[in-house]
Amino acid sequence: QEANVAFGGLTQDTSLPVEITADTLSVNNADGSAVFSGNVLVGQGEMRLSAAEVRVDYATDSRAIERLHATGGVTIASSQDAAEAREAVYTIDSGLVVMTGDVLLTQGQSALTGQKLTLNLKDGTGVIEGGVSTTFLPGKN
Amino acid sequence: MPKIDRHSKIVGWLKLALPLTALALLSTLFLLADRIDPTAAIRYAEVDVEALARDPRMSAPTYAGITSDGAAITLTAKAARPASAERTAAAEDVTLRLEMPDGGSTDMTASGAELDTGAGELRLTGGVEIATSSGYRVTTEALTAALDRSGAESQAPVKATGPAVTIDAASFTLHHETGGESEPAYLLVFSGGVKLVYQPGG
Repeated sequence: QEANVAFGGLTQDTSLPVEITADTLSVNNADGSAVFSGNVLVGQGEMRLSAAEVRVDYATDSRAIERLHATGGVTIASSQDAAEAREAVYTIDSGLVVMTGDVLLTQGQSALTGQKLTLNLKDGTGVIEGGVSTTFLPGKN
Repeated sequence: MPKIDRHSKIVGWLKLALPLTALALLSTLFLLADRIDPTAAIRYAEVDVEALARDPRMSAPTYAGITSDGAAITLTAKAARPASAERTAAAEDVTLRLEMPDGGSTDMTASGAELDTGAGELRLTGGVEIATSSGYRVTTEALTAALDRSGAESQAPVKATGPAVTIDAASFTLHHETGGESEPAYLLVFSGGVKLVYQPGG
């Protein structure tokens, strides 16, 4: 089953510059595809994405970056929430982040786990699917 | 005195006027003409002949070859000096062009270069600029390019601009990747801490 979730309520402006830092970057000269490896940190606005390796897929006309494909254990954090998964694909223009592989989403006191999390950074909403279980502390929030 | 008729009067005046105009015409040849300085007529070349004789040089040399992985390499320069006792062969305003078999190409330009034929290497110095066919323009201070295989390695921090991205890295290498799962490809590897800034729509 699936559950809708608000992800930090932040509307992320996907036209902000994306800054990527890593140990190494290797670019294939023929098709221009680029792979960052070695504690990669992607930052855009308040959103931070860290992963072991991030592959950059250029659009077909190879002028704009279309997708960031992060693998090897990915953590995405925004102002109050964080989400972890094995893999994540972030399509910059649409602001969609699809995280797969035992997803753990923590929001304040509560935590949600599932197999797949689709976040829309533009309106700050998210859908978590696949064996969703939530744990939250009664009381405060 | 008989009445002097008009004809003689005219002749009399002409006898005075004509020599004077002749004299004036003649003077334009010498007095009024602008001085021609014979010594400055031909401009001598300012080339320092001794310097030319002392270190023989080759102007606009070109070197072309095929690297071990099949890339065509052409090296052109403004001037080149052969190796002598105290220094290796050097060249000025060097352009190194690499045409890869997969269609990609890379141009490296530098103001100075030293050729080390023993190691089959060319050390580019004095500000190197690398432009690749995939749209990346990399600038660094010094770079060592191999002549027998297509490879280059920067010896200084690197700044690069690509399609809508700017990259800063500590070092940069261009090499031919044969092993691994992907098919052989030419890789530009920035390492030692890389920072890339991508401006969407930029």
